[in-house]
Amino acid sequence: MSSEQNTGSEVAGQVPMIELRHVEKHFGDLHVLRDINLKVGKGEVLVVIGPSGSGKSTMCRTINRLETIDSGEILIDGKPLPEEGRELAAARAELGMVFQSFNLFAHRTILDNVTMGPIEVQGVPRKEAEESAMALLERVGVAEQAAKVPAQLSGGQQQRVAIARSLAMHPKAMMFDEPTSALDPEMINEVLEVMVELARGGMTMVVVTHEMSFARRVANRVVFMADGTIMEEGSPDEFFDHPTTERARDFLDSIKGH
Amino acid sequence: MGISELWATYGGMYLQALLTTWAMTAVSYVIAMALAVLITVMRVCPIRPLRVLGDFYVQVFRNIAGICLLIIIVYALPNLGLTLPYRTCVIVATVLLVSAFGSENFMSGINTIGIGQIEAARSIGLGFSQTLRLVVIPQALRSAVLPMTNLAIACLLTTAIGSQVPLSPPELTGLVSYINTRTTGGIATFLISALGYVGTALVIGFVGNRIDRKVRILR
Repeated sequence: MSSEQNTGSEVAGQVPMIELRHVEKHFGDLHVLRDINLKVGKGEVLVVIGPSGSGKSTMCRTINRLETIDSGEILIDGKPLPEEGRELAAARAELGMVFQSFNLFAHRTILDNVTMGPIEVQGVPRKEAEESAMALLERVGVAEQAAKVPAQLSGGQQQRVAIARSLAMHPKAMMFDEPTSALDPEMINEVLEVMVELARGGMTMVVVTHEMSFARRVANRVVFMADGTIMEEGSPDEFFDHPTTERARDFLDSIKGH
Repeated sequence: MGISELWATYGGMYLQALLTTWAMTAVSYVIAMALAVLITVMRVCPIRPLRVLGDFYVQVFRNIAGICLLIIIVYALPNLGLTLPYRTCVIVATVLLVSAFGSENFMSGINTIGIGQIEAARSIGLGFSQTLRLVVIPQALRSAVLPMTNLAIACLLTTAIGSQVPLSPPELTGLVSYINTRTTGGIATFLISALGYVGTALVIGFVGNRIDRKVRILR
């Protein structure tokens, strides 16, 4: 229990950055999220792990409403997530999202990818936006690629640009939906390093990943999902070394196998 | 009459007909492209009645022969109190036809973008119209250059429906009928007009390929 008390969400009196209450979702007949309750404290790094089809990506995507929910509540910094329109766009602008397949804008340069949000959404003057974008690209180590288009970069470089694109909006929290799953093995670390640095800088993060080394290094808490429910949660060491449920043990065996 | 004789007698009229064909093609194509963008925006917008209307427009005008459309515009619309000059009728028929096909080209351009980039745009806080303007339309336009080049050639050929109404001056196809009712040029009369079409189509194709190479999106 002592480790749980260290997590941000448990700090008395503090509003969680992200809170899901009794969230339910179906895809047709498939019940993908079953009564999900979750709090992510400010500055907390939460790793979500689970077999494919467990609902972990879907849950991650409900937090900025790329997936709608059937019932329940989602609160960002204590305020309900708007359902549509300008309010929803404004809420999304404050939440970073990094996808498995990078999703950079293919027709724009790397620099334009990073400045588009600040210029178009926040009204930052172009020159200022470009200066901060270059600083961010420097930070993630791809500044020299600024004038290229996404297809000219490696997967690892593209994913680091995607992280910079999210950071340019100065988000309150960031979601990572399997950010290294589409990468060649030798590129995984360069992306994880950027994420570790972010976590150490105090960013609130929800990370759907199977990278156990990352989870052990920076996660405050690990959540294990299966069949649309949260089966188990705890500190990384607790969870990886002493999983309590059969499902979690089986799953961990299966990913340790390779 | 041989080609040289035809050319000596009707050369000036051929040139005028070529200019008429070019003018009708250019005007129709520009209006049709603007309309195609508008129809396509309707077809992807979140408002269902507009989507249905956009799809309906495309289904109707994609599936009517140009000549039928022209007959309706020339002979039926006056009964509704709308009488347009013949040249305008030809342009309207061409625009309706070409914009329907143009919208289909844009739709397939949009489908090449992939939902991921649209989700990324939403995630940085872009609204529907910003996403459309900054991410979707520029990419749809750029990946539609080659099919739109083909459509420009189809547009050029479609203006030949102008031969079915009394245009003055006539366009390339209409001029053939005009000449062949006066002399016995036979196939040679067609040949000169055909050269006008082929030459124009080759230029359109060349320009289209150049544009495509310049704006093509690396993937």
